[in-house]
Amino acid sequence: MKLNKIMLAVTVACCAMASLPAAAADKTKIEFWSNSLSPKFDAVMKELTAKFNSSQNDIEAVWVDVDWDAFQPRFVAAVAGGTAPSLVNLPVPWAAEYAQKGLIEPLDSKIASFKNTYADGAIKDVTYGGKVYGLPWYNSVSIIAYNKALFDKAGLKDAPKTLDQLFSDSKALKDKAGVAGFAPKLQEFSSWFMYEGLPVIKDGKAVFNSPAHVKFVERFAQAYKDGSIPKDVFKMEFEQEIAAYDSGKIAMMTTAPQALKRTQTDAKTIYAQTVTAPFPVSKGNTPFGGYLFFWSVPKGTKNVDAAVKLGQFLTNDENQLRFSKATETTFPSTRKSVTDAYFQAGANSADPIEHGRAVAAKAIVNARTLTVTGLPDEASMNKKLQDELQSAIEGRKSAKDALDAAVAYWNQKLSATK
Amino acid sequence: MRFRTDLCNIKIKLQSSYAVKNTRSYAAIAYLFLAPALILMGVFTFWPVGFNTYLAFQDYSIADGTATWNNFAHFKYIFHEELFWNALKNSLLYLLIVPVIQLGALVLAKLVNNKLPGMTFFRATFYIPVITSISIAGVVWIYVYKYDGMLTWLLTSLGLLHEQIDWLGEPKIALYMMMIFTFWKGIGYYMVLYLAGLQAIPSEVEEAAVLDGANAWQRFWKITVPMVKPTILLCTLLSTIAAIKVMQEPIVLTKGGKGDTYTALFYVYDQAFRNFNFGRAAAAGLVITFFCVLLAIIQFRFFGEKK
Repeated sequence: MKLNKIMLAVTVACCAMASLPAAAADKTKIEFWSNSLSPKFDAVMKELTAKFNSSQNDIEAVWVDVDWDAFQPRFVAAVAGGTAPSLVNLPVPWAAEYAQKGLIEPLDSKIASFKNTYADGAIKDVTYGGKVYGLPWYNSVSIIAYNKALFDKAGLKDAPKTLDQLFSDSKALKDKAGVAGFAPKLQEFSSWFMYEGLPVIKDGKAVFNSPAHVKFVERFAQAYKDGSIPKDVFKMEFEQEIAAYDSGKIAMMTTAPQALKRTQTDAKTIYAQTVTAPFPVSKGNTPFGGYLFFWSVPKGTKNVDAAVKLGQFLTNDENQLRFSKATETTFPSTRKSVTDAYFQAGANSADPIEHGRAVAAKAIVNARTLTVTGLPDEASMNKKLQDELQSAIEGRKSAKDALDAAVAYWNQKLSATK
Repeated sequence: MRFRTDLCNIKIKLQSSYAVKNTRSYAAIAYLFLAPALILMGVFTFWPVGFNTYLAFQDYSIADGTATWNNFAHFKYIFHEELFWNALKNSLLYLLIVPVIQLGALVLAKLVNNKLPGMTFFRATFYIPVITSISIAGVVWIYVYKYDGMLTWLLTSLGLLHEQIDWLGEPKIALYMMMIFTFWKGIGYYMVLYLAGLQAIPSEVEEAAVLDGANAWQRFWKITVPMVKPTILLCTLLSTIAAIKVMQEPIVLTKGGKGDTYTALFYVYDQAFRNFNFGRAAAAGLVITFFCVLLAIIQFRFFGEKK
């Protein structure tokens, strides 16, 4: 009798084992690509993937992380080859071009029931030509992290409250403390126009050569001339700005709070002297440096519904908050999660990261990713604008001449597509 | 007699049929050996080049994979595109590095070809930049060229410079600074090729020249240079193609062509992977190929064997 029972148990176990692969095979596998999160955020991504898979009977999500530099060629090749993943994590500036070229799917009808959970600004960021192309995920925004010791040397008490003050404080820092004030991000200058509330394109024409635009550019040129901003500012990106701040070569770091994680580990003395404050809001009524990542469905994906289900899961209140807690310095894009007490817990903290998080969380509500979309030859047009602006800011050309030349080039491209 | 003639005829027929058979099987075996390389090249070189040429004349949509004939629209666009011509100008200007690096590599090869103690160390040292990853070398050279970097410090210390210069940011000099980097990175590679060429020169020739009273300068120009001419052709061709295709240097040194260092191949990359206009990228690529082939023909004329 006992032997019979054992035999029965073994048979049942064998049947169960045999049916397992069949059940797994029945599941719809969907691959999703995150953007440069590995290896730092492997744990949270694996946790979210497992959580999603355990909540589904018929979908199995497979997480793949793709490096930033390899992402675009790999994505385009996958779409062209008909092997695109079900869901991809894109930053807003890339996605406009993808939407224009039909490489990602509009999702209006698929997300109508939960679209309102996301912040207005985030939904606007992922809308191109009146259609919503994705599910907003994490966002970031620039804050000011300044070196208190250098501020004391320059006789400055607080962080600047306006852009004008940011420039004048930088001049004081150069004159009295002997270091440049800050390193503005000049890789896409059109975002500075938008920040200042100055139009870039109006009625299908480039209009960024008005006297107001010229005056604005001249402000940067003056700062370059008097050394308030570094000589190689046009070559400075995220990494170089952190390195300059960590080595005491600039007094203010005007970037996303995640940069402070690097200062905390690489330059402990500077970190101990660091104080954080909001980046001034100008006439564009949006903080500088908003940069939203979102989940989008590539063209040709077979399982759109399953992909949207996964996207909704990753971007719901609970999981956005979970992700922000894992990164410590990025912010959710849903209305509810961004107001969580976690973000304001460090409002009175002396620790720069905790305080910076609270500062940025307040600013993020109005953050937009400032980028010009819908250009017919984006690479060439931006290159021309950047080259001209570099000449103007570095003093090889007048701001008026540089902007006139860039506007003429842009209008030639814009009119050719009409 | 007739019998002998018949026998001869049969023998000749047999021999020729054996020779044909032999030639055929020889060719078949040769193709068999070539097959792996030919298949790989066919899939990864010839087919992409052919498809690229086809795309240059089409409007290609990645989203649905369709391609439509566009009546040379990409070529017309490129013809009027100042950015492309400026980029091509920079790539052609980059050819200035070719004679410099070739002469430098030949002289260097000649120097390290001496049988002196420690010569292996020098050979290895000159070759180290070749095997160093360009991204790592780029990071180091950015610090050399930084406005407050090593080069500025050196020239200031020597009293040759009185103000800081952003070597890679100044449009008038940035491209030449990049060429110096290419020189440093590539000279070891060509040195090794020339070294192989030099070691194939019989020592008797040089010894005879010494006995005839030729000095080092005369021996270099009258013996060494003519005898390594095939290597000069190979190296010049390789470095010309590399110069026209220059792209990694602007990526690592000038963040994608700032300071007037934008090159033709960078334009191709931008059109393909920033604008996703693969047809226009292919057309620009074809124009660059045209210049490459043109320069190759000129070089064969100058350095090739005269028949």
